[in-house]
Amino acid sequence: MHRVTLEWRDGREATVEVAEGETVIDATERDGLGVPYGCLHGACATCTGRLLDGDLVHVERANGLKPRHRQAGYVLLCIAEPRSDCRIEVGAEVQADLVPNPWK
Amino acid sequence: MSTDEPSSTAEKHGHEHHEVEGPGYPTPAAMRTESEREKTAFVIALRVGMDVDGSDFIGVVDLDPESDTYSELVDTVEMPNKGDELHHFGWNSCSSSCHTEGLMRDHLIVPGQRSSRIHILDAEDPRNMEIEKVIEPEEIFEYDLSAPHTVHCVPGGKVVISMLGDANGELPGGFLQLDQSDFSIDGHWEADRGDMEMNYDYWYQPRHNVMISTEWAAPKTYYPGFDLDDVEEGKYGDSIHIWDWENKEHQQTLNFGEEGQIPLEIRMPHDPEETQGYVGAALSSNILRFWEESDGVWEWEKVIDVESREHPDWDMPVPGLVTDIVLSLDDQYLFFSNWLHGDMRMYDVSDFGNPRLVDRIWTGGNFADRQEIQGTEIRGAPQMLQLSRDGKRIYWTTSLFSSWDNQFYPEIGEKGSLMMKADVYPDEGRMELDEDFLVDFGDAPGGPARAHEIRWPGGDCTSDVWQ
Repeated sequence: MHRVTLEWRDGREATVEVAEGETVIDATERDGLGVPYGCLHGACATCTGRLLDGDLVHVERANGLKPRHRQAGYVLLCIAEPRSDCRIEVGAEVQADLVPNPWK
Repeated sequence: MSTDEPSSTAEKHGHEHHEVEGPGYPTPAAMRTESEREKTAFVIALRVGMDVDGSDFIGVVDLDPESDTYSELVDTVEMPNKGDELHHFGWNSCSSSCHTEGLMRDHLIVPGQRSSRIHILDAEDPRNMEIEKVIEPEEIFEYDLSAPHTVHCVPGGKVVISMLGDANGELPGGFLQLDQSDFSIDGHWEADRGDMEMNYDYWYQPRHNVMISTEWAAPKTYYPGFDLDDVEEGKYGDSIHIWDWENKEHQQTLNFGEEGQIPLEIRMPHDPEETQGYVGAALSSNILRFWEESDGVWEWEKVIDVESREHPDWDMPVPGLVTDIVLSLDDQYLFFSNWLHGDMRMYDVSDFGNPRLVDRIWTGGNFADRQEIQGTEIRGAPQMLQLSRDGKRIYWTTSLFSSWDNQFYPEIGEKGSLMMKADVYPDEGRMELDEDFLVDFGDAPGGPARAHEIRWPGGDCTSDVWQ
């Protein structure tokens, strides 16, 4: 069991206990925290978070992230399991950071 | 026949090759002239990619001007799971099934783009729909398919859904076939995919034994958002595919190159004799016409080119981004949306190879003067279109796709999107924004939502194909 602290950009914070073999999204859903998600198999990146602290591993291939995203600390919470206590930035705005408007 | 009654065997069919009566209308002209005004709209609405802890839903919008709840969201049918990204949907049967006795247009097939979950809704009573069956993603993945998109009922008691990815969200995708009677999965529709590597929308003309499909990209490419690097790496489509409808075999690829990047929506004329059509290339912002030559080979040409525009505060010229196109039931007018610019255009296409711009409406987007209606900020720009059967009213929503909304119009992700309407005067070749009509999906029960594809009970300009 690891304690995962979630931080939204509006200042909200929540902590969820994530069991061994449980993904972060499974835990946030269990607690009704409303973290966005989509495909649940690492393809769509709707559940993107940014790992601020701790150890988190993808248990399936994170197809929805490019190498530059992974290097920047982005993680897909639908296929991510904590290996230590973590702090993660969450919310729809985090996903939106993956790809900026190219014309702007 | 009332608009909101499921079309069924009750209707008399006039054309001579009918031995039985089925759902739909015998001809496009019959649908245009014999049906009543639309009274209800089914509108896809979703919460994916928003900080709203809720499911996607089908919104039921009152379109009856005589009703006290006109222009209001009067009902919602919530999906049983979150995260679906409902996108496009279709009927169990339509006019292409009109030779099949005993069928009714009474079930909606509602796929989730991200979840790959397919919902079957009993829509016999449009103001009281119910979810009848859910096909779970794991059942789809068994066929190495994901990301369902276009749903068409097809002759022979089947429903065919274009699928954009394999089970991992990678290429090539294919077509999933369902049985019309119990919505069980038959398997892949296609017998030979040929060199089709990407998929998106499709249209078919059974009288000419042809189906034509378009290309977006691999789900893992377009799901997270639009990246120009992916375009440069050739990860987005630039071709359409010609199929033998009977044999289900790929026959020919039309490669558009730079002129046809990201060819999304495809429409062929409702006249089943026609062997031509249009495809809207979103990124190139062109309308391309394709047609069959007398030797059976298909050709194409660009017929409309939307110029990119300089934005005073942006670095690069901005394409219109043609995201949806629709043809009137009499095949006289073509409408399309420029989602990044903010206009919706109307072309006279009575000379199909020479479309003539007759009118446009500017609302929202990055260039329109009009940025609010009824005091409400226009979040997004004209996107998914639906035209009334009589061609006199056009409705649109303003959301494209959750991650792309968040990239280009982030306010949609925060406050939801809108449904709007214009009155169309086909005899005069013009449109007029109806400022009395506005459905703000920001006020949806349970929190803001993104409104996407629109359908009418009784059929519409983008769901029916005639044999």
